[in-house]
Amino acid sequence: MKLKKSILLIGMSLMMAAGVVGCGGNKEEEPTEDVVDDVDVDEDDDTEAEAPGDQVLKVAALESGYGAEMWKEVTAAFQEANPGVTVELQTDKNIESVISPNMKAGEYPDVVLLAVSREDALTETLTKEKGLLNLMDVLEMEVPGEGVTVSQKLVPGFTDTLVTNPYADNETYLAPMFYSPCGLFYNEALLEEKGWEVPTTWDEMWELGEAAKAEGIALFTYPTAGYLDAFMYALLAETGGADFYNEAMMYSEEAWESDAAQEAFDIVAKLAEYTHETTVANANDDNFQKNQQLILDNQAIFMPNGTWVVEEMKEAPRAEGFKWGFTALPAAEEGGDGYSYTFFEQIWIPAAAENQDLAKEFVAYMYSDEAAAIFAKSGAIQPIEGISEMLEGENELFYSIYDTGAKAVMGGFAATEPVEGVNINDTLFQTVNSIITGDKTVAEWREAVIEDAAKLRDALQ
Amino acid sequence: MKNEKGKKFFILACLSPAVILFTIFMIIPTFNVFKMSLYKWGGYSPDKDFVGLENFKILMTDMKFFRSFQNTVLLIVIVTVITMGFSLIFAAILTREKIIGENFFRIIFYIPNILSVVVIAAIFSAIYDPTNGLLNSTLGFIRLENLQRMWLGDQKIVIFSMAGAMIWQAIGYYMVMYMASMASIPESIYESASLEGASKFNQFFTMTIPLIWENIRTTLTFFIISSINLSFLFVQAMTNGGPDGATEVFLSYMYKQAYTNSSYGYGMAIGVVVFIFSFALSAIVNLATKREPLEY
Repeated sequence: MKLKKSILLIGMSLMMAAGVVGCGGNKEEEPTEDVVDDVDVDEDDDTEAEAPGDQVLKVAALESGYGAEMWKEVTAAFQEANPGVTVELQTDKNIESVISPNMKAGEYPDVVLLAVSREDALTETLTKEKGLLNLMDVLEMEVPGEGVTVSQKLVPGFTDTLVTNPYADNETYLAPMFYSPCGLFYNEALLEEKGWEVPTTWDEMWELGEAAKAEGIALFTYPTAGYLDAFMYALLAETGGADFYNEAMMYSEEAWESDAAQEAFDIVAKLAEYTHETTVANANDDNFQKNQQLILDNQAIFMPNGTWVVEEMKEAPRAEGFKWGFTALPAAEEGGDGYSYTFFEQIWIPAAAENQDLAKEFVAYMYSDEAAAIFAKSGAIQPIEGISEMLEGENELFYSIYDTGAKAVMGGFAATEPVEGVNINDTLFQTVNSIITGDKTVAEWREAVIEDAAKLRDALQ
Repeated sequence: MKNEKGKKFFILACLSPAVILFTIFMIIPTFNVFKMSLYKWGGYSPDKDFVGLENFKILMTDMKFFRSFQNTVLLIVIVTVITMGFSLIFAAILTREKIIGENFFRIIFYIPNILSVVVIAAIFSAIYDPTNGLLNSTLGFIRLENLQRMWLGDQKIVIFSMAGAMIWQAIGYYMVMYMASMASIPESIYESASLEGASKFNQFFTMTIPLIWENIRTTLTFFIISSINLSFLFVQAMTNGGPDGATEVFLSYMYKQAYTNSSYGYGMAIGVVVFIFSFALSAIVNLATKREPLEY
């Protein structure tokens, strides 16, 4: 009797344990909350051999400031244009944490929209690990139903960057998607009221800084030090030119030890003196909007940011008559070029994706007028010919920055093999906090950047 | 004989679920952490490079890691000392003294422990706000303007600002733990002590503390573990390691290396160091505080 009982007990405990273990393997049956299963998904998909016209495409997209609605619309439109194709869409504000566990288990989405420079750095990691599919043939594919190829439709320059061609070999692995010019945002009404001009050179900037100081207004603030990336990139292009910028992004020793780099460091150091005193204390993910609020409250004049800031701060209280103004960085010298960094998101196909051909078609479809119109409705602007006709409101001003004389600079640091303990983005941008608080000197900053660049140079792929 | 066998079966049956779960969720992952720390791997690609102890060699020269190490040790020390001091005093007052609203205070002190770290981080962000924050406003109100600081912006004090939030969060929890063991000390001992003329102060140090010593020892281990874990959560929610790495702690640095810097293997090496460090520290603290248990 007792023996029976204990056997029963063992049996039960084993079953419990098995149940727990079993839970781990059931991924396929657990629908993610954000999965939008559109239209008739064939239930016994897995058992039948898939007919060519009966395919499932897994798309994962970051739900950024533009929202998730446009992705639902665009995938629905793609399904309509491609009968027999079912798109399984996943969107999330933190899409990397949704897809990466499955990716580690070998289940990759077919197409991913996720930009570089995110904290989890999934895109960078896959780049560094050679986990992306070469997209050169997508560029030569015809945009569905439009008679032009993708590369013909893309605005020139967008596929010549170190972001899209991370190995600096002219091979594109990440396709450019929504772009946004970055530069200095300010309150136009404030400048008008005080009779101040938007500075065109840094010397004029310092004059304005003094004038503003006399009125108790700070010249500069930034949301977090991370926002200084676009600022620094544009600044480097100004002090040394576009070629110099590209060399710096390839960690060239000469570039970083040059006078042009020194000039950029010095400008930031001088700007630090004119930065609003509470900036560093609020320069974290929790409080960065307080720094942005300084612009709305006329307590600081300029901040580096992207066009999304208008949407981000639309509910915030503001000074009377407030009107967003936007300018490229002032030129390094009289008659020099002003630069504006172009931030853009990327779409890519993992090398381990199952339906690569369909994924490529999907990427090509992204550049169709139909898709672009859906995206533009949510404010997401793609770098394609004819996009200017889809712009409205403040976006018209923002996106016209390159038509009014500013030069564009794009890309970022080249991909290297991961170097343990070295993060040049942190060294280059986060240190600005220390420059402002006086914890580090410009010489120390420059030295650290040169040192990191040397380590990364050796690890270039 | 048959009975013996049945008993063994029964014990085995009772133990097996826990043992199986423990193996799957603790032993295997820990083993994997140790294993991964010997590889150069970004986290996704199928090819992992075995590099031996290379990750640990780099770690020994990584100044940013040492900074996070310093910050963590600093937090463990100040959070433990201050929290323990306050919790013991509050616990003694609430159990030994008859004060009005005893239960009310007990609840008030315990509330921070129920709140999630993100909520506490938001509360303290508001308190530390440089312009409208509670702290700077109060200092301004009582004419102590020269004490006003950028609590989250000054690299020399930001780590103490973090400690402030952590202490506020932890006091109630440890207070309740100490209260539980203080309440079980028989009243008669205190009575005879007062008859002998021992002051409250003397009673606290010569009777209460020695009598709850075992409990204090246990909480010391809790302090070490929770300081390491909670400091990561607070840092994530409040400063993200900033400004410029001034609040970087063990786990936030590990996270940044494993993910942001695509060095998963290196991150695991940091994990190994944290693992060994917390184990060793707990062992040392345990040995150093070993006393002959007192009975009442």
